[in-house]
Amino acid sequence: MTGKAASSTDAVIVGAGAAGNLFAAHLAEAGKSVLVLEPGPAWTTGDLYSSLIWSRRLRWGGPAVESTGGHAFGAGFNNGWGIGGAALHHYGTWPRLMPSDFTMKSDHGKGLDWPLGYDDLRPYYDRIQEEVGVSGDAEAEVWRPAGAPYPLPPLQQFAQARLLSRGFTALGMKTAPSPMAILSQDYKGRPACVYDGWCDAGCPIGALANPLVTYHPRAVKACAKFVTGAHVTRVLPGRNPHEAAGVEYVDASGETRTALAKVVIMAASTIGNPAILLNSAADGWSGGAGNSSGLAGRYFMTHSIAAIYGFFDGEETENYLGVTGAQATNMDHYPKTALGGGAFGSLQWQLAPTMKPNDLLGVAMARADLFGPALTKFMDRAVHHLAVMFGFGEGLPVAENRVELSGRTGPGGGRTPRVVHTFAPESVKLWERAAELGLKVIKAGGASEPWANPMANAHMMGGTIMGRDPKSSVTDSYGRSHDIANLFIAGPGLYPTAGAMNPNFTNHALALRSAEHLLAHWPA
Amino acid sequence: MRSAIEGPDATRRTLLKSAAIGLFAFQLGGVDAMLSPAEARRRGARLKILSPAEAAQLEAFGDALVPGARKAGIAHYVDANLARPHSQSLLTARYLDVLPPHDAFYKTGLAALDGAAAAAFGKPFAKGTAAQTNPLIAAMLPGQITPWAGPPAPLFYLAVRSDAADLVYGTRAAFEQLNVPYMAHIEPPSDW
Repeated sequence: MTGKAASSTDAVIVGAGAAGNLFAAHLAEAGKSVLVLEPGPAWTTGDLYSSLIWSRRLRWGGPAVESTGGHAFGAGFNNGWGIGGAALHHYGTWPRLMPSDFTMKSDHGKGLDWPLGYDDLRPYYDRIQEEVGVSGDAEAEVWRPAGAPYPLPPLQQFAQARLLSRGFTALGMKTAPSPMAILSQDYKGRPACVYDGWCDAGCPIGALANPLVTYHPRAVKACAKFVTGAHVTRVLPGRNPHEAAGVEYVDASGETRTALAKVVIMAASTIGNPAILLNSAADGWSGGAGNSSGLAGRYFMTHSIAAIYGFFDGEETENYLGVTGAQATNMDHYPKTALGGGAFGSLQWQLAPTMKPNDLLGVAMARADLFGPALTKFMDRAVHHLAVMFGFGEGLPVAENRVELSGRTGPGGGRTPRVVHTFAPESVKLWERAAELGLKVIKAGGASEPWANPMANAHMMGGTIMGRDPKSSVTDSYGRSHDIANLFIAGPGLYPTAGAMNPNFTNHALALRSAEHLLAHWPA
Repeated sequence: MRSAIEGPDATRRTLLKSAAIGLFAFQLGGVDAMLSPAEARRRGARLKILSPAEAAQLEAFGDALVPGARKAGIAHYVDANLARPHSQSLLTARYLDVLPPHDAFYKTGLAALDGAAAAAFGKPFAKGTAAQTNPLIAAMLPGQITPWAGPPAPLFYLAVRSDAADLVYGTRAAFEQLNVPYMAHIEPPSDW
């Protein structure tokens, strides 16, 4: 296959998800020429049908990702496909990381430290929440680290949240409205949420801060160019091993093309970024681009989920109303050793996500073991009386958990990724203790027949971790490759520890910090 | 039906209407027709990927998992999605990290189920009574069904159960039957 004539821009961005669009907007607004390459389609808000069946189009539709290990990661569910990426179907639950998340190694001798602290990131959290609109009650979140109050009051709560909160109150624990990147009031030309609970299918009215209504329009307005159907296969070496020339990609027609750029920004997801780096072996890049540490792909992390269910017969739980993320939160057990009993890591509760009757997070899947008439009977009861809360548990960073290349090939002959993941024993214990606690809480709230489902997982972090030492990390605190001066990596793949918080707020804060640093230190 | 919506203007839900047409293409008498899976089944539309025997078995299995799946057209729904490019598939298998091609996943899963049925009661699964098939189904999620020569039994169970649940519980008509308000922002192009 022959390559078409190369294009050249100031920056080429690989991936049009949350971080890619934020970078594109800021760089283009600063006058840089920007090309964004996205393998999926060009969604518009008009494509976001209110149906969990149709929502599957928004999930990864590219070359297959293999997933294996003792606790295999749900790659298909978590990844995105097309402009907006995973943020197009994310739920907008936006807590900040805690200061303790940045210093785990120093504090406990476990895991890793970040090369920056909470105070370094705090101003970016504050600015992002003001830019995109976050709803919440900072005072009620007694656990919340220092920061500006939310620009919008909390979202409305429905019966499910009130019923579940009773259990926490009964045990002397606190709850607060969840901090959500969903508008409780009209804000900057976007309308407020109407609580129909279709966030998982994408929010077409733009109340939820998905990239189609936040940074993508800004990037387009500032003349960033987006090319869809473009599968990036590798980073191209420059004049020496410390320079990237651009990227190679296969376009929608199957042609191999080259995009040259002064700066390459990898924003192709926590799985896609290391896969492309590992596929980019060349002279001077024997283990792949930016991989002199041998850690590209290593320290892949996810959150365990303790899913706790119970019936509130006699009450209409209104579990079909609200938002897919959460209506309320509790973080009493966020300190790394708070649960005891051999558990290690942070825990965050999210109460009362919307449940539609079908789909993985829907009512029917709450009891996957039921079938036939027993399922029919369960459904009739559960759609009006079931309540659920999720405990998100931190997965410790483990080097053996990794994104590696499989034996299969994708567009352009590049090898496709395989994710290998097994929780550390302390993380498994954390999930067990969380499930025990959750059952105690929901019982205390008056739920009948409570149960905990088998361990699930969500969110993806690590794989291209940041750090101070080039021997033990892939990038610096701005996402700049230790090896390749004009190669930046963006996204939650940078996190050296996962915390227990949904990753997208921190993803935005880090991307803003990096984009501004890049513009202030633009390569000569 | 009760409404618990308070606060912001709820009429916005229905302001955005999709003009897209998204029914599946089925062949009826050699002519392509855009039909829902239920209509396709009722009118005997030709299957593209599954054999008639596989379709009958999938209907029997799906209906045993989620009553109503047969009539809702589970075999035609799965068949139509298998005939699409992977990136356009609406099957839950896409979520469950089932490696494509997904037609092999369904075909080998159905064959394994028939093999288990033959060993248990000497007939194809679709010919078994509920008393004969229910113990087999109950053994799938725990991975205890034997013999089993196919994709992981729990994965196959979850995928087909979810397909069936999509059709029986995931449509506007199903929501209404469950007395759950649908509240679409954008109406899906097909209600199956």
